[in-house]
Amino acid sequence: MPGTSTPTGTRATRMLGVVTLAFTVWLVVFGLVVSAEDVVQGSTVRMMYVHVPSIWVAYVAFALTAVVSAVYLSGKNRSLAWDRVAGASAEIGVLFVAISLITGSLWGRLTWGTYWVWDARLTSTAFLFITYIGYLAVRGLGGSFRQRARRSAVLALLAVLEIPLVHFSVVIWRSLHQESTVANSGTDVELDGLMLFTLFLGIVTFTMLFAWMVLHRQRALALQDAVDSHGLDLAIKQRQQEAEVR
Amino acid sequence: MDLTPRTSGDASATAQTMKPRRRWLPMVIVAVAIVAGGVVVTRFLTSAIDYYCNVDEIGVRSGCDEGRRIRVQGVVVEGSLAKSDGATTFKLSFHDKTVAVRYEGDPGGVFQECIPVVAHGRLQGGLFASDRIEVKHSNEYVEKNDTRIEESDKEAAACSVQEG
Repeated sequence: MPGTSTPTGTRATRMLGVVTLAFTVWLVVFGLVVSAEDVVQGSTVRMMYVHVPSIWVAYVAFALTAVVSAVYLSGKNRSLAWDRVAGASAEIGVLFVAISLITGSLWGRLTWGTYWVWDARLTSTAFLFITYIGYLAVRGLGGSFRQRARRSAVLALLAVLEIPLVHFSVVIWRSLHQESTVANSGTDVELDGLMLFTLFLGIVTFTMLFAWMVLHRQRALALQDAVDSHGLDLAIKQRQQEAEVR
Repeated sequence: MDLTPRTSGDASATAQTMKPRRRWLPMVIVAVAIVAGGVVVTRFLTSAIDYYCNVDEIGVRSGCDEGRRIRVQGVVVEGSLAKSDGATTFKLSFHDKTVAVRYEGDPGGVFQECIPVVAHGRLQGGLFASDRIEVKHSNEYVEKNDTRIEESDKEAAACSVQEG
């Protein structure tokens, strides 16, 4: 109810938050201190421990948005909870794509010698970012909750098709961006031991952070919907009272 | 029955719970996103006008002709890098073919010998005059303090890593 304090956390989310925080500290120590410099890039390689997990989380977020959107469209009762998870996940995905683009641009300046090139990987990632900005805007276009859920679910199922395009862009087109180092089925992993461990630590940490953020955000969206519904209920009640007076 | 949310007068209770939403803002964002998407795709297609050629494809592959503006990909040949009068000269090789490159300025980034780069420019009279150099880092990462490699061999090891 509006005016009362309604937390979005539970005991489980608080525990997840504490574990995520501990992993973040572990990642910072390994990423900045314990892991070695790269023989060519030097300390610049440490950007990888944020850049790669960020785009990984963005992929997961947009995939989750698509999956729950499909569940919403195919479900019998069409619970709006699925729609709120889709919205929350997409919001966080956009945030992590932005982090990936910013860290990638800084990393590019230090290694490639330029902040940006209109290269297939960079262009497709920018396009992905813009697409989901559009998705979030479409969610805010108005109408009933069900109209919002239906139109955004359809859009989410179309937008998710961009992810394979982004991932395989470095294979399809000649690109300045290097090919995948870990998620590359054609070759062995090409990261020295502690670098590989730190990268996986980053991916695990960022994934837990994403889960924690989605859990909280979808509850915040549920509260927002409840506030909007409450306002509508009040309006109906008011009009009914006015009609009775007349 | 008129159910339009009220924001003033005796509908103050409703006003507190239903803030008037600015529906024009999402519409503007959608419009800007569509335009931005178009711009991004256009810029990508425009940049693709310059053919992306490996050194061994110059004069062989269609679009990789001498005199035409292209992007050339290759590895900076060990021992070929020199800097004088503000210009950087080096040789670029790929699949046993080599081309001499001259770039006015310092390429920046981690530009060095044995590293793959993309040079933008034109091949004229056997010299590739470049106005833009981008360093193309490989997807291999080697720890600098790797005890398996002797200090004196590190540079050579980096070279072999880049040439793959």
